[in-house]
Amino acid sequence: MSAPVLTDTDAPAPATERPAVRLLRGLLPYVLALVLAFVVSGVVIAALGYDVVEAYRTIVTTSFRTGFGFTETLTKWVPLTLLALGFTIPLAVGRFNIGGEGQLLVGATAAAGVGIVYADLPTAVLLPLVVLAGVLSGAVWAGIAAFLMGRFRVNEILSTVLLNFVSFQVLDYAATEVWSDPAAGVAATQRVGEGAELPVLGGPPGVHAGIVLALLVAAATTVVTRRTAAGFELRAAGANPRAAAINGIRVEKVAVVALVVGGALGGLAGALEVGGVHGRAIEGMQSNFLLLGIIIGLIARGSALWVPVVAFGIAILEVGASSMQRTVGVPAEMVLIIEALILIFLLLSDVIAGRLARRVT
Amino acid sequence: MTEFAALAQLTVVAMVPYLLASLGTMLGGLTGVFSVSQEGVMLLGAAIGFLVSYGTGSTTIGILLAAGTGAVFGAALGWATTVLRLDQFVVGLALFFAATGLAGLLYRIVIGQGATTPRVDTLPRVEIPLLSDIPVLGTALFSHNVLVYLAALLAVGAWFFLYRTRAGLDLRSVGENPKAADSLGIPVVRNRLWTATAGGALMAVAGAYLPLVYTGTYTDSIVGGRGWLAIALTFFGGWRPQFIVLGALFFAAMDVVALRAEVAGIDIPSQVLLVVPYVATLLVMVFAFRWARVPEFLGRNYDRESRTT
Repeated sequence: MSAPVLTDTDAPAPATERPAVRLLRGLLPYVLALVLAFVVSGVVIAALGYDVVEAYRTIVTTSFRTGFGFTETLTKWVPLTLLALGFTIPLAVGRFNIGGEGQLLVGATAAAGVGIVYADLPTAVLLPLVVLAGVLSGAVWAGIAAFLMGRFRVNEILSTVLLNFVSFQVLDYAATEVWSDPAAGVAATQRVGEGAELPVLGGPPGVHAGIVLALLVAAATTVVTRRTAAGFELRAAGANPRAAAINGIRVEKVAVVALVVGGALGGLAGALEVGGVHGRAIEGMQSNFLLLGIIIGLIARGSALWVPVVAFGIAILEVGASSMQRTVGVPAEMVLIIEALILIFLLLSDVIAGRLARRVT
Repeated sequence: MTEFAALAQLTVVAMVPYLLASLGTMLGGLTGVFSVSQEGVMLLGAAIGFLVSYGTGSTTIGILLAAGTGAVFGAALGWATTVLRLDQFVVGLALFFAATGLAGLLYRIVIGQGATTPRVDTLPRVEIPLLSDIPVLGTALFSHNVLVYLAALLAVGAWFFLYRTRAGLDLRSVGENPKAADSLGIPVVRNRLWTATAGGALMAVAGAYLPLVYTGTYTDSIVGGRGWLAIALTFFGGWRPQFIVLGALFFAAMDVVALRAEVAGIDIPSQVLLVVPYVATLLVMVFAFRWARVPEFLGRNYDRESRTT
């Protein structure tokens, strides 16, 4: 498999180039990709007979026009960022974690279980337990794939995907048999105890406190990957496995650890969804988070620093999409196509940039 | 015995989407183009196959248009990875998103958000004269819709082409050692392009099979992971059509057993049974990865001017 999947944003710039110029040059492909994606999608929306301007205005302004919209965007940002980081960290070693969905669901199931069984514990005890249950179960879930990868060389793309399907049934078993709540109307577990619910910040409408955790995780990931020996090993193992191995880095072990850490973040996302949003584990609660997490990770080109930023942009699009479907009538799926196009045009702009650079030198 | 014949027939019906999608994956993979967009392309194939059949009343046109759309996605993957030399996984995932979004969008535009789900007629059975009268075997093998026969012919044809013809040997050499193939005058890019394109078409037909044979209706979850399982199956089958057929049979039997056991009311939580195919696949892969050969250049792009490859 080809190792360096994405261009490293830390690539040394020519010494003469100022940081501002470097940043602009880095942002140019993004601007181009965004504009092209919206132009192409605009043509499609217009061809379908909808009002393009109104559709786009709805997408972009929903998050900022109302406090509720902004709350929804931030609430969505939390799992998106965590899943995107959970995809990005293994990606740094050239491994694809397609199991974010399963890690989230298993994390949510475990968190809900703890929150139900120990419902009477005080918040100070229960809440950490709930979060821990999510993190650990996500790590174990990804750990299965990591073990099979390290020990038996089972492709991690396949094992993580297969485990997603197993996780559906794990949640289904919890939601319909063990902790079922017939009054919920959908397949879901009972509500967790009050002590398992995350406090709400700055409400109402307000965002749950999980956003602080997600921010901390994002900051920690950036620092660890860029400023520590472990982060260096991670990037070295991904950039050139052979050279890294010669220099004493145990590439396989790094890959296994990266996958487990990625799973832990997925599990954390699940626990925060339970404690902060739903108050229980619900079937289908993962919605499109995995797809979006992967898109975010790829658009951010594996940079932990940019993941939260891109995730915010995608959260705006997603919240705007349902609003656009309601008011303008354009199906919300249109936004998935816009996101795929952004990614495709970003890839194409790399090719163009590469050709231009070769012509100059 | 009739119960067995019925189960065997169900298994054969259920194996076709696995077989088609996996043969498509294999075809591209043998020249080194590894697709991860099966799940999306199958869903798009299902949407187009269903919508066109619904609109025109002709299942054939539905299947053909689905195949054409799949071919476009396969060609896009081939072009982006051979001509532009973009990363295969990233392009594959991007196409997976695009196809998934497009499938949902098309269905919503044509059918709308209404509560009623429209149906189409499923493909009729074609009983092969004489052969279908054989007890047990006749019902199991020779009383099916045309796509079943087509898939079987395709598997045999693929085996013959790959292992008994010069062009097939050339094709496989591209995935094993493109540099050597190139130096012998075998067109690397052209082989990669056509196999990726044909592979995409097969995946889309595998998807179209689901509404047009299985259910008669389309839902967003109709593919249900079969695309990802097709990748696993291709590895399991060692990238050879003869073993892929066996693997598809195994996967399909898992599906049928899980369904049947639930209906028969066996006293195990249904979730345990529904998990069986995925866990079994994982276990099988633990062993399959030890013996299965993978094309040497799978997932890697070929650059004629590069010295390292």
